[in-house]
Amino acid sequence: MTETTYDVLIIGSGHAGGMAAKILTEKGIHCLMLNAGPVADVARDAQRKPAYELPYRGFKPPGRLEHVFQASEFNANVWVDEEEVPYTFDASMPFNWVRVRLFGGRSLFWSRQSFRLSDYEFKGKSHDGYGDDWPISLTDLAPYYSRVEEIFQVAGAQDGPPQMPNGNFVPVNEVWSESIQRFIKASQPYNMAVCQQRRAQGRDGLASSVNLLLPDAERTGKLTSIANAVVRKITVDKNTDQPNGCLFVDRLSRREMHVKARVVVLAAGTLESTRLLLNSNLGNSSGMIGHYLMDQIYGPGVTCSVPEARNGKATKQLMGGAAIVPRFRNITTKYDKFLRGYALNVTSRMGAMEPRNFAAYGAELQQKLQEYNGSAFHITVMGEVLGRYENHVRIDKEKVDAWDIPVLNIQTRYTENEFNMAKDAVEVSCAVADAAGFEVLSKNEVPNPPGYSIHEVGTCRMGDDPKKSVLNKWCQSHDHKNLFVVDGASFVSAGWQNPTMTILALSMRASEYLADEMNKQNV
Amino acid sequence: MLRRDFVRAVVSVGLLPKALLAQQTANPAPPPPAPVPWTLGLNPKTPLPVTVAADGIAETEASFFTSSQLATFTRLCDLLLPPLDNKPGALQAGTPMFLDFLIGSSPTARKKVYSGGLDWLDAQSKTKYKLPFAQLNATQADALIKPWLRTWMTDHPPTEQHADFINIAHEDIRVATMNSKAWDDAGVAAGQDWVTGGLYWSPIEPDMAGLGATSTHLPPHVMAVPKAPHTIPSYPR
Ligand SMILES: Cc1cc2nc3c(=O)[nH]c(=O)nc-3n(C[C@H](O)[C@H](O)[C@H](O)COP(=O)(O)OP(=O)(O)OC[C@H]3O[C@@H](n4cnc5c(N)ncnc54)[C@H](O)[C@@H]3O)c2cc1C
Repeated sequence: MTETTYDVLIIGSGHAGGMAAKILTEKGIHCLMLNAGPVADVARDAQRKPAYELPYRGFKPPGRLEHVFQASEFNANVWVDEEEVPYTFDASMPFNWVRVRLFGGRSLFWSRQSFRLSDYEFKGKSHDGYGDDWPISLTDLAPYYSRVEEIFQVAGAQDGPPQMPNGNFVPVNEVWSESIQRFIKASQPYNMAVCQQRRAQGRDGLASSVNLLLPDAERTGKLTSIANAVVRKITVDKNTDQPNGCLFVDRLSRREMHVKARVVVLAAGTLESTRLLLNSNLGNSSGMIGHYLMDQIYGPGVTCSVPEARNGKATKQLMGGAAIVPRFRNITTKYDKFLRGYALNVTSRMGAMEPRNFAAYGAELQQKLQEYNGSAFHITVMGEVLGRYENHVRIDKEKVDAWDIPVLNIQTRYTENEFNMAKDAVEVSCAVADAAGFEVLSKNEVPNPPGYSIHEVGTCRMGDDPKKSVLNKWCQSHDHKNLFVVDGASFVSAGWQNPTMTILALSMRASEYLADEMNKQNV
Repeated sequence: MLRRDFVRAVVSVGLLPKALLAQQTANPAPPPPAPVPWTLGLNPKTPLPVTVAADGIAETEASFFTSSQLATFTRLCDLLLPPLDNKPGALQAGTPMFLDFLIGSSPTARKKVYSGGLDWLDAQSKTKYKLPFAQLNATQADALIKPWLRTWMTDHPPTEQHADFINIAHEDIRVATMNSKAWDDAGVAAGQDWVTGGLYWSPIEPDMAGLGATSTHLPPHVMAVPKAPHTIPSYPR
């Protein structure tokens, strides 16, 4: 048998890999996609069941997925098992690494909040002196954002301030309910912009790589995909020293195999791409691979009740709707308690209230739940985590995963900047809720462990200086022209924004650049 | 049967039931080594026996809580979630025994919250009333429980000692009860569809390496339903 050499090997099938496959194959380039997990078919693999039919009545299976707070017994089988693919950390520095290895990756399950980064992120250092600027600005990425928003059918209004750039949206113009209007009025002293939420609607109820990106690639006839291919290592040509394919393990049989390609595109989901580069000892002349791990602080927030909506008096006029408050600290003025800032997700809801909002039990609790039903008003925080060299991952030499692949050791922690931000966010939320006449029922200012946001970015940052960055502004390795990383690993700063729109835009831009370079025979 | 035939038979049952049945009469296979080729028995028309969950039918013995812990916990369950508004309470839902199982299968930290918490509650009761907690009336018990109730947000239960136990147990008791068969039955009786439901994902192509053939962890072997033919969706761009 003669070995086929593909034009491009794409590792990973999520948002990042799916976009690369679509763009490259549509330019006539033959791609081979390897994905560590199987294809999920909801008709075959899932069914509606009552909780009591499950062994643990819907509770998360004990001892499993300890760091996936999002897991329950219903969905436990879709997440990567921490025993199968472990990672290590010091007990004082827990990290919640939330992964999906099914075909389509996390794009099957994300919540679809969709924002662009602004030049407050791309050029953060120029603005406040901290960290580094990206080698690109919003102008460079804007045309790609527009195309991504079209593909993902992002719904939103053109109501963003400069720190939340507008885009190519399916227009929404929800009329604010009275409760949100009251929030808007009460927030005025803080100079907040209260905007319509921005969400990818996708098509047919899904906004995933498997329905919005991969079908386009498959239609070209130029995409070959292999499921259950756990990539162990990127291989290098002995003569040219350039990447030339990879070794992988069949997930089910443990059989070792390899494939060849002229170009390697990593899209394994930030930390898995980084892990692969470290395990392959590749592209790290800067020594920066693994450093500057970032995400967002999640967990802090307040739960309130709108008194007028209690006792069965909630109406659609009064309650309902969701708003986003983009970062408002350190925009036009300088705030002394922390750098950068946080956004607030604001939700007004007619449904039931969680019992934990009341210090009561039994009949008294039941009565409270009835009284407060329909009056919930939630404010939750998404705060920027600063990029720090010391927040890093490296290979743990002592431990391997189920396929004998060395695992990551993660060393990252939040610092005063993040904790102060969380505190401020809760103080401000309480003050605004008070001023709006809401009752604050419960609050929390302790961030969840790093990683919980599922927005881990950085660890292969981009930059113009090959000594200080891993990738150039095209997500291309400074060391190897035919090596690209198109997921969140290239981020230079995290911002408060959910990262996926930016991942998609970067992957699209990098893939077009790659196709061009291949055409010109530069790669 | 030859391995080749076995494979062919399995594949045909999975993919081409009608063709297979037709083929059996039109084009008989060579005489089988036994009177009935055993792999051809199950087919897509085979009726599936109807089974129900053991929850609500079978009884279990406590294996984690000591007898005095169980007595304390049972009383606590009844106080925190009694039957209300035509819904079963924690006792009718078998919650104490279910949580004995769940907590008993859980990591040490969670076990400690429970066993420590139950011992503490019983000791408090004996100090204050010279009675085990299980024998307190509602007013007496309330005086022990109420001071520890807190309000809190998801993933951030109180970390303060005693408050952690009371609030975590309270939530667990509610969830276990509201996800029980008894709770669903009450819903059905009131004309509701089952209310505890959700989309359950089975293991997807489970990786069985490392599990010996005799392993008790081995999932039951079920042949996957053939994949539905998908058309590639096409969206306006
Ligand atoms: C519940 C949830 C809610 C979210 N909500 C939002 C939101 O509202 N907004 C937002 O912007 N983002 C959100 N996210 C985050 C978003 O899903 C991710 O940013 C995005 O999907 C990342 O895409 P990716 O392609 O980089 O990585 P992934 O989707 O993780 O894909 C990586 C793929 O690589 C494969 N892979 C990994 N290692 C290997 C290997 N060694 N060999 C072969 N293949 C490998 C995996 O199988 C996987 O399919 C959410 C995520 C979750 C889980």
